[in-house]
Amino acid sequence: MKVLIIDDEEDYRNVASMCLGMLGGMDVVEAASGQEGLQKAERENPDVILLDLYMPEMNGIDTFSNLRKNPCTSEIPVIFVTTKGMFPEFDQLKGQGALAVLTKPFDPVNFSAQISDILKSGSQNTN
Amino acid sequence: MRPRLKLVHKGIILVTVPLVLNLAFLAILSWLLNQSEIEVKRQVRSKEIIAQANSLSKLFYDAGVAMGGYSITKSPLFADRYDKIVREIPESLEQLKGMVGDNKHQQDILHNLAQITERGLQLLGEAKAAIDENQVDVAQYQARHMYKEIRGLADQLQQELKGLTDEEKKVQDESPESKSRWQRGVKVFIIVGVGVNVLLAFIGFFFFIAGISRGLNVLTDNADRLARGDKLNLPIAGGDEVAVVDNAFHTMAEALAEASRKERAVIENAADVICSVDADGKFVAVSPASEATFGYKPDELMGRRFIELIIPEDVNGTIKAVRAIRSQRGTMPFENRVKRKDSTSVNILWSAFWSESERSLFCVAHDITERKLAEEAIKASERRIRTVIENMMVALVIITRDGRIESVNPQAERIFGYRSDEMVGRHVVMLFQESKKFSDSDEGADHEKFMENLFTISLYKIGEFDCMKRTGEDFPVELSLTEFQGPEGTRFMANILDVSERREVERLKKEFVATVSHELRTPLTSIRGSLTLLNVGALGALPEKAKQVVAMAERNTLRLITLINDILDIEKLESGKLDMVFDTVPIRNVIERSMEAVKSFAEQNGIRLEAGGAESMVHADGDRLVQVIVNLVSNAVKFSPKGETVRIAVEESPNWIEVKVIDRGRGIPAKYKNLLFQRFQQVEASDSRKKGGTGLGLAICKGIIEQHGGSIGVDSEEGHGSTFWFRIPPVNAGSRVLETNLEQKTA
Repeated sequence: MKVLIIDDEEDYRNVASMCLGMLGGMDVVEAASGQEGLQKAERENPDVILLDLYMPEMNGIDTFSNLRKNPCTSEIPVIFVTTKGMFPEFDQLKGQGALAVLTKPFDPVNFSAQISDILKSGSQNTN
Repeated sequence: MRPRLKLVHKGIILVTVPLVLNLAFLAILSWLLNQSEIEVKRQVRSKEIIAQANSLSKLFYDAGVAMGGYSITKSPLFADRYDKIVREIPESLEQLKGMVGDNKHQQDILHNLAQITERGLQLLGEAKAAIDENQVDVAQYQARHMYKEIRGLADQLQQELKGLTDEEKKVQDESPESKSRWQRGVKVFIIVGVGVNVLLAFIGFFFFIAGISRGLNVLTDNADRLARGDKLNLPIAGGDEVAVVDNAFHTMAEALAEASRKERAVIENAADVICSVDADGKFVAVSPASEATFGYKPDELMGRRFIELIIPEDVNGTIKAVRAIRSQRGTMPFENRVKRKDSTSVNILWSAFWSESERSLFCVAHDITERKLAEEAIKASERRIRTVIENMMVALVIITRDGRIESVNPQAERIFGYRSDEMVGRHVVMLFQESKKFSDSDEGADHEKFMENLFTISLYKIGEFDCMKRTGEDFPVELSLTEFQGPEGTRFMANILDVSERREVERLKKEFVATVSHELRTPLTSIRGSLTLLNVGALGALPEKAKQVVAMAERNTLRLITLINDILDIEKLESGKLDMVFDTVPIRNVIERSMEAVKSFAEQNGIRLEAGGAESMVHADGDRLVQVIVNLVSNAVKFSPKGETVRIAVEESPNWIEVKVIDRGRGIPAKYKNLLFQRFQQVEASDSRKKGGTGLGLAICKGIIEQHGGSIGVDSEEGHGSTFWFRIPPVNAGSRVLETNLEQKTA
């Protein structure tokens, strides 16, 4: 499984990468901004995108809409990732291919399993 | 019993008795008069009889003479004369007859006379005849014969006549005597009669008048006695008008006495003091109520000046008031304070009336101390209320059912920026941002709809609205309406609280929490990830010691993460925004997941887990329920001794699904049971260090269950374990769980 992590924090990207890669056996691609994420999504065609909400310049929601606009990336399922307790806008975005919202910190051991489950069942609650 | 005679009767008697006597007297007098008349007539008659008798006798004599003459002379003169006389004699006899009347004796005499006369006349007739026929001898013979007879007859006649006249003469002789006797008798009679009459009249009059005047005296005396207040004389007996008046007088006196008694009773029993004060200001009469009101018995006040009782400060006012009453002759109430016998003072309301005729001031003193106190209390209370209303932080707007503003308090003026006169009379919608949307055309309907909405949301509840200041600026409020009855009808009081600050604070807090959580969670993500990677050996095997240390770091990291999650959850709960996603979930599923999550933790602590079966479906956020059950079971495991069992039981009933977590731990003392579900509560402070936990868990569980429309609690006895339970509505039979209505406040 190829995962694209779009998050402006380097530490997070590192740790998440390592957890998903080493513990989850996933193939991880990183993008440090929304803009970069769009490009990498188109180029790498991942199975799922982990999208951070709060990023400078292009935030998660905008990145999501742009992904949807681009026919190359519009079908890729997106899981939002955030520290925030609440993400009310998620309900609107659910229909458009946003599968779930996961909170940070994640459970390193189960992270990949969670992602697989989400992909399988199509939607799930916050953790 | 004396006859009941009216005055009329008495008057009649008074008049008729003398009258009758007079009449009798008159009758007798007239009889006497009659008698004397008869007497006189008799006298006259007897004189006439005598005269007549004499006349007859003369006639007879003359007849004899005439005859003699004729017989001698044979002159026709004598014959004529004789004829004449002969004719006259019967006439005279008749007359005499008539005069004699009923007297029997005299009638007899007359009869004799008639006979004699007849014989005589006969004889004389014979003689005359003889003479006429010139039978002188015969005549002479007869004459001598006749003469003897005639002489005899004449003597008889004379005899008889004498008899007649003697009788009459007797009468005549009697009469002066009897007459004078009569006269004397009559005189005496008259004198006596008149005297008696007058006497009787006087006596009658005297009694009559005396009777009346006695009666009148009694009446007059009674009137005096009544005025003095003495007992009346005995009632006058009798049925006449005076007695009737006397009776009426007695009745009136009774009625007066009764009225007086009633008046006395009123005065003596009245709670107010009724008194009168003379022209010098001294008490002349005081009712018994003075003891209760002033502390003085009535006799203690008699003769004292009434001004002495008044408190010095009020004396001038009292004097002025009394002067005014005296000059204007009306009653005008005035108030003052009176010093009682025990030196306490009472507030008195005086009603006084000045009577010029009695030269007294009649007063009623009413104790208004309590009323004054009540008035003071009311005034004080009003002042307090006004102070409250004017200073309170909540704006008050009073409106009618249609929404007309009747009054506002100063805080309302402040928060809306209007003066009260700019708001009163206008429709309350002017204060709401809604009004911006209204059209001018259908104001009535708009207003009606607005009011309906207002009542629905905020009548006896707290509703949230956007209000508008005078400047047009919007600001959020919390508003609640209550209904009350004003003097003019049903009114509504709107309590309006400007919550803009609070909202701002909340917003800031949310932002802060969000920011902090973000800032805390971000590094923790990396830390946790790193530590876990280390711990599981993904970055290479670690020495044993290092493993332990990393494990410890990981544990503590987890603790931090849990703490932050709990804090955030609590914040969300308290702002009503705990995110939950409801679905129809089988309770069995929830239980299984919970068991799974807690399994290793229980194993580590040597506790066995048991769970009962369950078939029901619930309308719930499954993950959150798992969170609750995990919390409860973790607690149960923490506080159970090693080797014990923690059981999860499910009870299904039509109204509730109840989940119970039963442990055999040390139990919870009664005094803590109510505190458990509050924030940061733990039964023993040392617990937090030994067993771990922030004390937020149960509070969060409570919040979650209550968001499900359920309830949570604990049954426990110290030393005998605990049963933590929660109930949520099942998904059938119209159970509706409170959706997380993000705009509604939780309790």
